[in-house]
Amino acid sequence: MKIFSNIGKTICNLILLLVFFFPFYWMLSTAFKTLGETMTFPPALFPANPQWENFLHVIEVIPFGHYLINSCITTIAVVVLQMFTTIPAAYAFSQYDFKGKPLLFGLTLITMMIPAQLVFMPLFILFSQFNMINTYASLILPFAGSAFGIFLLRQRFNQVPKELLEAARLDKASELKIIWKIFLPLSRPVLVTLALLTFIGKWNDYFWPLVLTTNDTVRTLPMGIVTMTNAESGTPYHLLMAGNVLISIPIIVIYLFAHKHIIKAFTYMGDK
Amino acid sequence: MSEIVLKDVTKTYDKRNTVIQNLDLRIEDGSFTVLVGPSGCGKSTILRMIAGLEPLTAGEMLIDGKVVNEVKPGDRDIAMVFQNYALYPTMTVKGNIEFGLINNKIPKKEREHRITEICETVGLAEYLDRKPAQLSGGQRQRVALARAMVKNPKVFLMDEPLSNLDAKLRGQMRSELIDLHRKLSATFVYVTHDQTEAMSMATNVVLLDRGVIQQADTPFEVYQKPANVFTAQFIGSPTMNLFCRKDVAPYLTAQLPEKVHKIGFRPSRALPVADGEQPQNSLTVSGKVLTRELMGSEIIYRLLSPFGIITFKTFNEEELAPDSSVTLSIDRHSMHLFDSDGQRVEE
Amino acid sequence: MKKKFLSIGKPYLLIAPAMAAFLLFSIYPVMSMVQLSLFDWNMISPEKDFIGLANYQKLFYDEDFRQTLLNTAVFTVFSVLGDIGLGLLIALYLKKNTLVNRIMQSVIFAPYIISLASISLLWMWLMNPDYGLLNAALEALHIPGINWLGSPQYAMLSVILICVWKSVGYDAMILLAALQSVPENLYEAAALDRASWWRKLTKVTLPMISPTLFFLTIVETIASFNVFETIQILTRGGPQNSTDTIVFSLYQYGFKFYRIGYASTIGVVLMIIMTLFTIVYFVLLSKRVHYQ
Repeated sequence: MKIFSNIGKTICNLILLLVFFFPFYWMLSTAFKTLGETMTFPPALFPANPQWENFLHVIEVIPFGHYLINSCITTIAVVVLQMFTTIPAAYAFSQYDFKGKPLLFGLTLITMMIPAQLVFMPLFILFSQFNMINTYASLILPFAGSAFGIFLLRQRFNQVPKELLEAARLDKASELKIIWKIFLPLSRPVLVTLALLTFIGKWNDYFWPLVLTTNDTVRTLPMGIVTMTNAESGTPYHLLMAGNVLISIPIIVIYLFAHKHIIKAFTYMGDK
Repeated sequence: MSEIVLKDVTKTYDKRNTVIQNLDLRIEDGSFTVLVGPSGCGKSTILRMIAGLEPLTAGEMLIDGKVVNEVKPGDRDIAMVFQNYALYPTMTVKGNIEFGLINNKIPKKEREHRITEICETVGLAEYLDRKPAQLSGGQRQRVALARAMVKNPKVFLMDEPLSNLDAKLRGQMRSELIDLHRKLSATFVYVTHDQTEAMSMATNVVLLDRGVIQQADTPFEVYQKPANVFTAQFIGSPTMNLFCRKDVAPYLTAQLPEKVHKIGFRPSRALPVADGEQPQNSLTVSGKVLTRELMGSEIIYRLLSPFGIITFKTFNEEELAPDSSVTLSIDRHSMHLFDSDGQRVEE
Repeated sequence: MKKKFLSIGKPYLLIAPAMAAFLLFSIYPVMSMVQLSLFDWNMISPEKDFIGLANYQKLFYDEDFRQTLLNTAVFTVFSVLGDIGLGLLIALYLKKNTLVNRIMQSVIFAPYIISLASISLLWMWLMNPDYGLLNAALEALHIPGINWLGSPQYAMLSVILICVWKSVGYDAMILLAALQSVPENLYEAAALDRASWWRKLTKVTLPMISPTLFFLTIVETIASFNVFETIQILTRGGPQNSTDTIVFSLYQYGFKFYRIGYASTIGVVLMIIMTLFTIVYFVLLSKRVHYQ
């Protein structure tokens, strides 16, 4: 019985690995194949000769460096900017009573329900009126506020025991010091998680650069890779997969180190 | 000098819920004053107002003769120990103790000196680099104390600091706090709902009920001369027996003033006497033993008398069997007399 | 006096940056879209023609848009069911906290954090009708290959498959956390009451995690209404409009045909649909969800 259930479990695990992991293996394997190898049927499991130069090719064919710089600038700027808007707002919503607070908090929550896919056109028009299409600002500013971040961080701030703040006040700590020394250290897991979620989201973002740019000036990596599908001589899948590997590396590296943080973020929502 | 005076203080929450009304209280310099009372009596509110954590709705708060209503908690030269200790979880033990000193801009050398000294005193020297989560309950308690002591405050405020400890440790900490008070000669204001704690540590007891001071005096006086029925029944364990005069009149051979309405006596003062004996100037009644609780050095009985259940306490080795008949006698001088308003009748 | 003003104004000062961002980049565009939907405009000409509700009228009788709505509905229903149903199965399967299970969790979650663009390209390759891995696998089982993304009857199914594959790990992780927070003694009590595995699931587990199921349903529904990248990269709405969804046609009308007013109308309709769904969910489910 025990052996049977163990075998069953192993089979289930193998199926799950086949479904969720094998595609990634296939991406990696294809990235090392030649164009000719991508056009054989049935396809080979392993590349005959690993083609490292595929990666060099990708970097040359699309201006990889250019896209990379754009990706870094927009991603880091959005992460930093969100911290600057989210921390004070979450602190105010958590620690202060002020007129219109429920209304403003409600407004914050409502924006969580308004996705980029709904608002891109009016914003495109807005940015074009200010001649800001194809600028970094048009890719960064719309993501300056994070309703989810405010919500999550406020939740954490609310859990900070009142006595702790009173103890700090008795210890003559200024408000800034209380935020810096008590609220933020206690919220570190939430802050790390928020930064990670934003980083991953922006690094991966294909939609916003697609709809808000008309040329390559500020476009980021995901768009850069997709442009390769328009090759005249058929789709070079080996290069596409090599590109995919390149842009996924930072995400996978971060994930290997921080997947626990990401899981934690979601359990905060259910906790308490 | 660090005398605390509350003048005509009122505290109202949300404009409706008045917790304390027109309260006057003087906490003597260097005293160990314990605010005691049932939960909701306003004792914690008073403590928090002294700390400056709650604003006064009306009235004045003076420390050392200076009005401090508008003085921030950090500028009142007080330290507070919280019920759950309120240690900063992300800082080490040292960080916790040092935090207030840094905020008060005390030079590093002086800080190090003070911290070392305090940690020797409370026995934390080896735990300085630990985080609070890595400490036991008793150790956390010590960190909380050290954090308060290191500031050399004029006033120590303590909000039920021992309630999270187990019974044995609590007893130990009690004596340590008494010691500490003697050594520091600062003013201690201590809040508890536990009358034993109050009686054992205080130099002054302030007994509160529903925001009103019932009695403020030394523990000895409070026990010996309870000012009213509430005090009489709140202090002392087991609770004082209290009966209406008209119920016990047939068993009374003592002369009592006219206005006496209620008669109380402590369980330890109800003494078993031999059958048929009728001591003079006393209350003598017979009844049947209902229950017996062996406490160690003493035994507590509940006795069914014609006018109600009497609790009494003996220190005899000899046990009274349940259901056995006993005659109790209470001497006139052991009786506490109260008028119809529940106030003590002075003689 | 100045100090007093500062202390009253402080919370507003603290929330101002975030609120400014929300007003400018969420609230304003929604308002603007409502306004634009009443005009006929090609984005280039300086003149906008006010045409009242004509756009709405046209949209109401637009056969293509009806197809778009239907496609979006099909996509939403199946991807939400797939995400939550499979997510729950996976969560139940991986509930026990063992090393193997933790590794499996990380593997299943991985597609969620990879760019949708990469995922789309990867599946474009896997589903390639001539040299793709999926058809090779089918061939090996002696099943004829499928034109996954190129045929009207399979394209939508393929897109749904890809989207569920990508996000099921997210649902599984959230459900897993919810499952693990159900107090063990409830199961012990149920076991003492001789409850079967099925009854434990339906009477203890599901009610206890119903707030999470509720949360996921809303989140996934709204995400599904807004499906775009996969469609844009893989099918461009085709073949024969079989994968044309609301956001994709909004994009097409706006940025390809420059019919801003008509595109805005589609946006407003999408917004109304999302709002209605959210309200209906809250009304229907909040009565039955068990909150602690």
